[in-house]
Amino acid sequence: MASRVSLKSKGKASGKGSKGSQEEKSLAQSFKEWSTWTVKKAKVITHYGFIPLVIIIGMNSEPKPHISQLLSPV
Amino acid sequence: MEGVVPPGTSTQSEVPKPTKEERVDYMNLPCPIPYEEIHRESFMSLKPELFEGMRFDFTKLLNPNFALSHSVYMGPTAIPSQSSETIKIPTAQYEFGANFIDPKLMLVGRVLTDGRLTTRVKCDLTDRLSIKVNAQLTNEPHMSHGIVNIDYKGKDYRTQFQLGNGALFGANYIQSVTPHLSLGGEVFWAGQHRKSGVGYAARYETDKMVAAGQVATTGMVALSYVQKVSEKVSLASDLIYNYMSRDVTASAGYDYILRQCRLRGKIDSNGCASAFLEERLNMGFKFILSAEIDHIRKDYKFGFGITVGE
Repeated sequence: MASRVSLKSKGKASGKGSKGSQEEKSLAQSFKEWSTWTVKKAKVITHYGFIPLVIIIGMNSEPKPHISQLLSPV
Repeated sequence: MEGVVPPGTSTQSEVPKPTKEERVDYMNLPCPIPYEEIHRESFMSLKPELFEGMRFDFTKLLNPNFALSHSVYMGPTAIPSQSSETIKIPTAQYEFGANFIDPKLMLVGRVLTDGRLTTRVKCDLTDRLSIKVNAQLTNEPHMSHGIVNIDYKGKDYRTQFQLGNGALFGANYIQSVTPHLSLGGEVFWAGQHRKSGVGYAARYETDKMVAAGQVATTGMVALSYVQKVSEKVSLASDLIYNYMSRDVTASAGYDYILRQCRLRGKIDSNGCASAFLEERLNMGFKFILSAEIDHIRKDYKFGFGITVGE
């Protein structure tokens, strides 16, 4: 372990710099990927779930309408 | 004196009377209208929802707050084309919508048969702060967009921040300067299109007329003037000028709001005349006729429809 640490500290500045930036890059990249994944999932959830959400909120508001009123055209 | 002040006058705004000189109270100015509605009266009069084909809308109230709407549309839809001729493709679509309107929360959602969802959410967090979200989601990738607006309403000013997808940031501010005049400015930055701009707006309003003007560094100058000739008749005109592309459009129109119908007509400097009639037949049926004749581009659009419910 100590030798590995000393090797790291003895390594070229550019080598150390690239390894450090690689770590930073992967952190930033993983954050970006995670946020992109979240936004994609949120878009799909909103796309399918928004109208059912409005209907659920409406059916639970006062005065409560009956479920047959939801489907019938009158 | 009771005879001088009409009973309907609100205590906030001072209307100058010809018989009495009133000092303007600059600490008590009315709250201005939101920045994006600065041309509201001229939009309402000059830009009705013209369409071509047949339209049928049915709105059913299940609750004073909750309504479902069904809408059928059949007709040609114009496709943006590179040549000067408009290409129209006949389409038929059904749209289902659900609205929930509460004093504090408004949720409106509309979904079409091809999967496009349009939503509007407005939430009043306090009586000064409110959040609005507008989104259009499609199944095609990269064609969806959404905007979040955070509005703060002060005593005689309003301010708004906007965040949208594609790195869109915007902010605007409008302030009442006198009881009739309000001035505002906006700033926006669109990352994806690499555009940014600053704009200014002014609005002068009295009981009888509204004049509004807007300038932006994107090259747009928009001026509008609406004269309320009587309760039933309004005349409106507007001028849109783009000083980058040297494009000018002037239009003038009228808006008759009668007991049984509302008729709006407009003529344009592009040689386009249009009219829109909404006639209220009895018992919640409304009959709609829309016509738009563009002599220069030889595009003639006529539409009719019926709206049932509110």
